[in-house]
Amino acid sequence: AELKYTKDHEWVRVEGDTAIIGITEFAQSELGDIVFVEIETEGETLDAEEVFGSIEAVKTVSDLFMPISGEVTEFNENLEANPEVVNSDPYGDGWMVKIAVSDASQLDGLLSAEAYADLIK
Amino acid sequence: MLFQLLRNSRVAASRKSCLFSTQTNPKPTVSYLNLQGSGMSAIERLCLEEALLRHDPLKRSWAIVGTHDPVYNSYLPNIEEAKRSNETCLIIMGIGGKPELLLDVEKAKADNVLTIKRFSGGGTVVVDHSSLWTTFIGRNDDFPHVDPYPKSIMSWSANEIFHKVFQRMKADAIHNSVSAERKTMIMETKPGGEMTQDVSKTMTYSIDTPNSLNEIPDFALRENDYVLGERKVGGNSQSIVKDAWLHHTSFLWDYEEENMSYLTLPSKKPDYRGERDHDEFLLKLKNVYGSIGDDSSTRRAFFYHLKCAAHESFELEEVYLKDAMKVVEDLGGMKTWFEGKCRTKILDLETHK
Repeated sequence: AELKYTKDHEWVRVEGDTAIIGITEFAQSELGDIVFVEIETEGETLDAEEVFGSIEAVKTVSDLFMPISGEVTEFNENLEANPEVVNSDPYGDGWMVKIAVSDASQLDGLLSAEAYADLIK
Repeated sequence: MLFQLLRNSRVAASRKSCLFSTQTNPKPTVSYLNLQGSGMSAIERLCLEEALLRHDPLKRSWAIVGTHDPVYNSYLPNIEEAKRSNETCLIIMGIGGKPELLLDVEKAKADNVLTIKRFSGGGTVVVDHSSLWTTFIGRNDDFPHVDPYPKSIMSWSANEIFHKVFQRMKADAIHNSVSAERKTMIMETKPGGEMTQDVSKTMTYSIDTPNSLNEIPDFALRENDYVLGERKVGGNSQSIVKDAWLHHTSFLWDYEEENMSYLTLPSKKPDYRGERDHDEFLLKLKNVYGSIGDDSSTRRAFFYHLKCAAHESFELEEVYLKDAMKVVEDLGGMKTWFEGKCRTKILDLETHK
């Protein structure tokens, strides 16, 4: 499925009624070595741009923002023991949460791959 | 209208007080809060910073400076553990710090050292009454040229602010040393007269100068650290939220070597550190710039130069603490904020929570 992106450097991939969310290659590169991913919103329904967790790198902690509204149904537990996967495979094994999509039309407001590439130039 | 007039007058007053002020292109407005002498503790300050970052209804950018000496715990007076922050030192860990990996927990417990976790990332620092604190909160709209990521933030702060500060500190040291030497020469060329000293003996003028002014190392950003030469002079960290970032630093003016023994050698350390222990790796600013006259005046010079550097980059708007605290009051007050959603917490070294 095609990835969509946010201005906050998250990506989202929709598979049916489920969206998978992570941070982009640009974001992991800018943050540096990831040391911790904290997500305690499993089971919560959040609006677009609400904080669903936080990610910590060597010097920084950054909020993570919902690209679209939905219920956080799953957290990638592998990140608890292996946060560095976010650096090595941000679009694959470094995914962070899965959500049940509330409003698929919100995807239209996100960035395409081309638009995101322009953003990070 | 009245607010705008007051705002303009405060900006004009701030500009007049700085020898290095310049008239340049429009600059972002940054609220300037000086906590020197405020009596605010480190815990209270961190709670205030997080509130300003996340909940300032005016979405202001901020420059917050100061030390924490003395401490009155005015805002958290009944938190028993917080009262201990007035003691010799304080351990501050990043939000994800694991005490079992980063601290000599048994020693910290035995010495009853207050240990807290701050809301920002980064490593562990041991701070005391002599530490120099600086904080910048940048709104992305005010700082479009600073990407809200650590490398960009630190590059900006190093180049725009701290490089100037330390250059000027060095210039001060050189200037003061030359002045002292000149006084010695004058005294030697005025024999007898009203002088009480025995002119047959060597006239000495006691000055406390750096060993060699030419050897004062230059300031730089090295990997993720602020350094003079090859030695770290402060700990810094960031917090990134929606459309804003916070970057704070505690500079080591002076410290007790024994206090650093609470820290273990971190498993992740910068390459430039090598295998150096804390005393070889860290550098006291006091030892570099020395002090001619009293120590406190040299520390005040640090903040003076920082304000001037900030003034060159921003339109500074001076804010009183009571005005900044309105943000915390809107959250229910410091105690409610601290015990509630504020992420700065006192760490229980028994449970590590």
